[in-house]
Amino acid sequence: MDYKYIEQLLERYWECQTTLEEEAILRAFFRQEDVPASLLPYRQLFAEEDKMADEHLSEDFNERLLARIGETLPAAGQPEGGFFKAHRLTLVRRLSPFYRAAAVIAIMLTIGNAAFQSMSGEADNAPQVAATLPSDSLQHPAIGGPEHQSAALAPQPADTLAK
Amino acid sequence: MNEISFRNVVLPLGDRLYRLALRITLNKAEAEDVVQDTLLRVWERRGEWEQIANPEAFATTVCRNLALDAVKRAGRNATSLDKVDNGQWSAANGQLQVASGQSEMESREQLSLLRRLMDGLPEAQRTIMLLRDIEGKTYKEIAAAMGISETQVKVYLHRARTKIKEQIWTTNI
Repeated sequence: MDYKYIEQLLERYWECQTTLEEEAILRAFFRQEDVPASLLPYRQLFAEEDKMADEHLSEDFNERLLARIGETLPAAGQPEGGFFKAHRLTLVRRLSPFYRAAAVIAIMLTIGNAAFQSMSGEADNAPQVAATLPSDSLQHPAIGGPEHQSAALAPQPADTLAK
Repeated sequence: MNEISFRNVVLPLGDRLYRLALRITLNKAEAEDVVQDTLLRVWERRGEWEQIANPEAFATTVCRNLALDAVKRAGRNATSLDKVDNGQWSAANGQLQVASGQSEMESREQLSLLRRLMDGLPEAQRTIMLLRDIEGKTYKEIAAAMGISETQVKVYLHRARTKIKEQIWTTNI
């Protein structure tokens, strides 16, 4: 098996050029059973570090500490009480996200409605204007001649508007 | 340390602080006392938690200082270990001179030779090796906890690793 990669990593490890991830690779490698003889001397270093990582406070440490502070640990499965910061939420504060969401929706609906109305208003006006024009002006576009133009632009008789 | 919970944020740091204190004091009972004092100090300063950006770095700094104080109080300052570092390694003969109590010496004799070599490193090197190799901290985090630059952290770590590497080969562990 080629151990060049591990050897290179190891060289970079001694020079403090390895990343935490690369150091984790080295650690995992040296935890294996099959380590070549050339790398075997280094295995104990990583094994010692693993042992050091497994050192813990005595089990009753937290209870002793909390007793000195004047508190006790909550029973297993119970929510923590005591001296940690708790915020009492009122109903209004609890519902405030919904209020905010409702306000945003209301604003959006208002804007949307206003935009829709203004757009639909323009669309409604267009037929009204067309309706005020005489039927012959639609049949004779302005490009037909100067007389047609003047006829189209001239004020319409009252009976045409009545139509 | 905004909205910190002592139970959820500070207490879980206990084991890490213990390992740090143990690497400095090299004594389990003393290390536990140091951790207890550290956590009590953090608790006593609960009025200032809002201003503490990184609770772990803060607790680590307090713990290290208290551990160094404990070593000094016990009359076996960290430099006694550092002397071993300055060319006085006699670990190959199993006679590493650590200024400590007799019972501690006896228990230390049961440790592996490599472990005693590691314990014989200067305090700063031991601490940085622990924070990097065992706790998996970045150079930046270590620098913040120890109040030194990242470059200094790398220099100390390089010295420690080089020494261990040399000793591995010279003592043929």
